[in-house]
Amino acid sequence: METFVQSIVSGILTGSLYAMIGVGLTVIFGVMRIINMAHGDMVMFGMYGAFLSITFLKIDPFLSIILWIPIAFFIGVFIYRFLLKNIVPAGELNTLLYTAGLSLFIANLVLLIATGDYRTIKLKYAIMPLRPFGIAVPIPLAIAFGMAILITFALYWFMVRTDTGRAIRATSQEPEAAALMGVNVDRTAIITFALGTALACAAGVLLAPSLYLYPTVGEILVAKCFVIVVLGGLGSVPGAIAGGLLLGVVESLGAVYVSVPYKDAIGFVIFLLVLLFKPSGLFGVGKS
Amino acid sequence: MKKIVIVLALLLLFAAPLIVSAPFFVHLMIMVLMWTVLGASWNILGGFTGQVSFGHATFLGAGAYTTMILYLKLGIAPWYGIPIGGLVAALIALPIGFICFRLRGPYFALSTLAVAEIIRLVALNWESLTNGPVGLLITTLPDVTFGEKSIDWENKIPFYYIIAIITLGSIVATYIMSRTRLGAYSLAIREDIDSAEAIGINTVQARVAALSLSAFFAGVAGGFYAMYLRYIDPDAVFSIPLSVEMVFIAVVGGLTTVAGPLIGAIVLVAFGEIFREIFLVHFKLVGHLIFYGLMMMIVIRYLPEGIWGRLRPRVGNQR
Repeated sequence: METFVQSIVSGILTGSLYAMIGVGLTVIFGVMRIINMAHGDMVMFGMYGAFLSITFLKIDPFLSIILWIPIAFFIGVFIYRFLLKNIVPAGELNTLLYTAGLSLFIANLVLLIATGDYRTIKLKYAIMPLRPFGIAVPIPLAIAFGMAILITFALYWFMVRTDTGRAIRATSQEPEAAALMGVNVDRTAIITFALGTALACAAGVLLAPSLYLYPTVGEILVAKCFVIVVLGGLGSVPGAIAGGLLLGVVESLGAVYVSVPYKDAIGFVIFLLVLLFKPSGLFGVGKS
Repeated sequence: MKKIVIVLALLLLFAAPLIVSAPFFVHLMIMVLMWTVLGASWNILGGFTGQVSFGHATFLGAGAYTTMILYLKLGIAPWYGIPIGGLVAALIALPIGFICFRLRGPYFALSTLAVAEIIRLVALNWESLTNGPVGLLITTLPDVTFGEKSIDWENKIPFYYIIAIITLGSIVATYIMSRTRLGAYSLAIREDIDSAEAIGINTVQARVAALSLSAFFAGVAGGFYAMYLRYIDPDAVFSIPLSVEMVFIAVVGGLTTVAGPLIGAIVLVAFGEIFREIFLVHFKLVGHLIFYGLMMMIVIRYLPEGIWGRLRPRVGNQR
């Protein structure tokens, strides 16, 4: 029983970060129909951001998120405005191939600058895990979980309460009707892409103290992202949150009850089953 | 005119190692030709039927492991192992095709990515068959004698001729496919799958057939890869970047063209290997794939029909 609770708890902790990455990917898909293969590289960027902050600026990685979110937002604006904007009208498959190229470019740029060495971030206050009710909770993951919840709620509030948020949701439901109602679709697209990039980067900053970082970490993360957003239904924000938590829990249960080596495969098997039998996502809200 | 060009190209293909025999250049040409086969393989599916697969490393890996395991466990020489590897890859493609082709467009692409990752993880963990992450190594290749002389496998030139023949096979197969019913069905599917279905084409069958043919060549290239490098492990032959590189070569060269993959491989692999040398030797850095990413972005933005696709009409309707 204790192992069961333990794996559920660790699953939810990791899942909250998966959810954040997934939300970024899903809003970008919802508004622009871009399947962004470079999304994982934005997470990688955030991880290296956290690493730079602690090594050179001596800022705690969790604090440095205030610095990296706006930087990632502007990088997102730049990427969309100067690179992706002209590709999007050419169709989903061309943008898929283009972002795959972009992903390889970013990963190799970082590989050239930072080399392929595996790096870790060691925090002084994070040596021993917390043990509430006899369940081990690593401190960095607990802080990351708390901040992920805060950021996700802030985003939710933004999407539901602000005009820009409403414009994003409207564009994602029906771009032409939104344009007719006076929504500046172009500006909405830029903001959405930048927002998705900033979310991915923030998740990277939060994940950095719990994972190894290396330039091609994005490959694995982007594959997981696709699992998450397809589970929840492409384009659906609550779906991506649920998908992220679900994948986190399934992976950690799988590692305990099925087998450690195959824990990553379980996610992909579920992904295939969902794609085949319920392509609109487990919760039936996505559009296929 | 067209015939002269083809004859000249063939002469160049088979005389090349006699003209430049420096090991680095022979190695470079071998890599270019191997990637031509992989690009041609991807082009058969992605170019003709328009189905973007991000999981072609599966077939390369299947061919490589089949060749390697047949040789190490049963003593079957790689020259039998390579075509058998291709057949195994083509067989594996059947169930994958019947599952993944229920999905369309980007969803198909994502599903192939998932299948490839599952298969990579199986190869990594099925240690009794694949030796797991340690990989498989062959130290010597069996003797082959032509009359008095036996082939020197330490030299790269025999490998060059083997891959030259495989490349020729893949290009001829692409040409034949473009002329047959399967090619016509594929193009119809690429243009509009619903209309193709409506005029009575069994689109699942046609796509599975194209995938299987495509997988055969990826498997053969994989078998060659195993024999040439003599060492494989799951991350070397089943990884996502390999699948992505195949896509890039086919797209940069020009989809649906017969010569496109060769052009794509020359541009990407030759420049990529030269970049790798420069980066490694002068700067001790690894990151030559940056060039692949950059080329891909430029091509999709400015030359969506690929380099050969753009040049072809200007050189007199060559295929």
